[in-house]
Amino acid sequence: MSLDLDQALQTYIAEARELLQDMEDSLLRLEVDPNDADTIGAIFRAAHTIKGSAGLFGLDPIVSFTHIVEDVLDRVRDGDVVIEANLIAVLLESGDHMLHLVDVVAAQGGQLDAEAIARESGLRVRLQAYQDDSEMSHAVQVETEIPLQSSGGGLVETDNWHISLRFGQNVMRDGMDPLSFLRYLSTLGEIVSITTMFDALPPADEMDAESCYLGFEIDFKSDADKATIAGVFEFAREGSLIHILPPHSKLTEYIELIRSLPESETRLGEILVTTGALTQQELEAGLSEQQTSARPDGSTTPLGEILVEQRSVEHEVVQAALDKQTQSKDSKNKENRYIRVHADKLDELINMVGELVIAGAGVSLLAQRVSDNGLQEATSVMSGLVEEIRDGALRLRMVPIGETFNRFQRVVRDVGRELGKDIELVITGADTELDKTVVEKIGDPLMHLVRNAMDHGIESASIRQSRGKSAKGTLRLNAYHDSGSIVIEIVDDGGGLNRDRILQKARERGLIAPNVTPPDHEIFNMIFEAGFSTAEAVTSISGRGVGMDVVKRNITALRGTVNLDSAVGQGTTVSIRLPLTLAIIDGFLVGVGKSSYIVPLDMVQECIELTENDRQLTRERSYLNLRGEVLPFVMLRDHFEVEGAGARRENVVVVTCAGQKAGLVVDELMGEFQTVIKPLGKIFSTLRGISGSTILGSGEVALILDVPSLVQQAVNRETHQVSTRQLTH
Amino acid sequence: MGALIKKEIHAAVSQQEEGQYLTFLIGGEMFAISILGIKEIIEYGNLTTVPMMPDFIRGVINLRGAVVPVVDMSARFGRTASEVTRRSCIVIIEVEADDEKQDVGVVVDSVSEVLEIPAAEIEPAPSFGARIRADFISGMGKVNGKFVIILNADRVLSVDEMAMLSGASSTEIAQAELV
Repeated sequence: MSLDLDQALQTYIAEARELLQDMEDSLLRLEVDPNDADTIGAIFRAAHTIKGSAGLFGLDPIVSFTHIVEDVLDRVRDGDVVIEANLIAVLLESGDHMLHLVDVVAAQGGQLDAEAIARESGLRVRLQAYQDDSEMSHAVQVETEIPLQSSGGGLVETDNWHISLRFGQNVMRDGMDPLSFLRYLSTLGEIVSITTMFDALPPADEMDAESCYLGFEIDFKSDADKATIAGVFEFAREGSLIHILPPHSKLTEYIELIRSLPESETRLGEILVTTGALTQQELEAGLSEQQTSARPDGSTTPLGEILVEQRSVEHEVVQAALDKQTQSKDSKNKENRYIRVHADKLDELINMVGELVIAGAGVSLLAQRVSDNGLQEATSVMSGLVEEIRDGALRLRMVPIGETFNRFQRVVRDVGRELGKDIELVITGADTELDKTVVEKIGDPLMHLVRNAMDHGIESASIRQSRGKSAKGTLRLNAYHDSGSIVIEIVDDGGGLNRDRILQKARERGLIAPNVTPPDHEIFNMIFEAGFSTAEAVTSISGRGVGMDVVKRNITALRGTVNLDSAVGQGTTVSIRLPLTLAIIDGFLVGVGKSSYIVPLDMVQECIELTENDRQLTRERSYLNLRGEVLPFVMLRDHFEVEGAGARRENVVVVTCAGQKAGLVVDELMGEFQTVIKPLGKIFSTLRGISGSTILGSGEVALILDVPSLVQQAVNRETHQVSTRQLTH
Repeated sequence: MGALIKKEIHAAVSQQEEGQYLTFLIGGEMFAISILGIKEIIEYGNLTTVPMMPDFIRGVINLRGAVVPVVDMSARFGRTASEVTRRSCIVIIEVEADDEKQDVGVVVDSVSEVLEIPAAEIEPAPSFGARIRADFISGMGKVNGKFVIILNADRVLSVDEMAMLSGASSTEIAQAELV
């Protein structure tokens, strides 16, 4: 039971976060189109659902705050309040606060700290300005309407609502506690009397402890309207009998109620009398009248039908019901399209598929050795299928990047305001998919880049105008697939990077020798060096020079690259290139001594044989002449200190990393290999030059080369060697 | 996969037999280790060496799809690395590091037997004289009137310490090259 509730709470938290995200997106949409009724409705429903479910779990802080927000939204929906920038700002902040509430109160079960409470009271004051002067007027209006609409049958005297509840047997299995409904109900008014109906309770030995057999007859004093009270039980509606009679309802309605409930008429009548809902006279009069005009199928007529017939159901209740129906239809559509799967299960599946790929490679290897045609054919069909399964399994983890991009709408809006710049965010390629683990890790680097572009890239409106550009700056986020990787671009139409300033700064810091002037793109990419900032002023948003190097490090950790291009006066483009997935890569298998190594295939440019001539020269120098180009190389045999005599023939694998070419000298070239990446344990955490391992078809372990770090090691080694040599001479 | 000599001995272990130890030879000397952490014993073979690692890390093996590091116990004690013979084995031991369990393989010259050593027959470790680091020893067991060094697996195979040492040794190598 408590476990079920816990699970339900987790679902609630996840849903609330999603709803708040939707709400934020919708609010931002409203900024563009303030009169979009659908969007307003969506925002209202989000707030309403968050409040309603929070009530179920007894999360009072969420309920009380969200209630105000919902109230304001309700008035917006009714057209009593006009959408304007300030209201959106308040609502956005309220959304943030609700998210905080969900995090603190629901997820951690804690209390708000002083700062949050101060923020909340500030928001409450600001929201109140939009709230109805007297929340009561609405309910009063309803109350006066009902007697007018009713005709004949006599009205009962009591001015309390009467609520009959018969919970469905599954209500607890669905993760809901009947008590929490009552607790939530009592936040709307006063429960005058409550009688527990346990007639449905079976004998003890037939009773299922997980089923709910209880019902309640409640007399309730409240100024809330019927839709609000009905909303309390929204989540239990399915499978449960719920009847709500407004104050001063007609006697006939009570009688219909009595008939439609499972318990006997007299018993119900007695309860209604003892709780004060009906007087004895009213009950008797009602029952006799009902008998004289009884329909043949009397008790089976649904109460709702009668209520509609008698036109005593409020318009709003019908409206709410319709809303509810469309809403549940929407969510049903969504459910059809998505299945929520625990990420661990998916990871497990991908792992198993990885094992399958390895096992498949083993089978193919054996089949080749046996040289049985039939067997080889069968294994090749199987390999094809395995490959498809692998692609399919990896695709399961692919998510569109749009969600990540959309988060920046808010960032751009807020930061733009803070900086006093008018900046528009244009998103393209939102459907481009990439691995979920990559998506999760790309958010922070993107955030840095977006903030940087807004702070340093895009100029203030006056400067823009003086340069003949439109006052409104444009920031573009774009994504597309390009040969097995995804490219994410952050493009601004700002002033561009100041090449000379970067060059000067780089020389000051000794990153570039004073007399050397590298090509422009190399100079621009200097800003990814640690502690490199050319900003004259440090602002709260950026300029401290921490960030760009972190961005680069994060992206490199994802086996990606980042590149920057800029044109003075026209803007800057940062392109991030990332692998589509982190689990399986295409590799190129090479042999050094007895060991096999994998070079990521996308880095391999070409393979050439190390000629006898070059081999002779390798004693003195470590570069080759590659069709007139200088190609520095690393002898893996020496670098890895492999024992034993050198191979008779050696080959050079030409790799590129960060736009730079390098050669890796290996003994043997063994061709392409589907590489399932297996991390090396913690023991190898200090190892540089190897990024992981994989298992070959033969069952042997092969190591995956970390090319950028290998090249870096070679550079460091040589620099030191040269400098020590200079010292000794 | 290599033939398993003794497969998953621990499956047969019940609660009260806490005093069971696997004895094995390293460099002609007998050592013991509590069998509770031992997962299996496999034949030595199919080892992939990892470059630029200190001597005591022999490399990695494929243990049914998992890549497991293999430690040379003799080199870890600061002696010469074990020579591989027909009787060499890899003992797979589960060690705990920061609440994470990790399998580590240990190369031994040969595996002897599983012994029961009652707690009364175990002496505390001497502060010196065993010629291996005192914190590696959890006690000295008396077996047939002879002493057997009972190793503290979590200390000998401390993943953190080994990672640190390999980090230090690779910079050492780098520095040695510079001179």
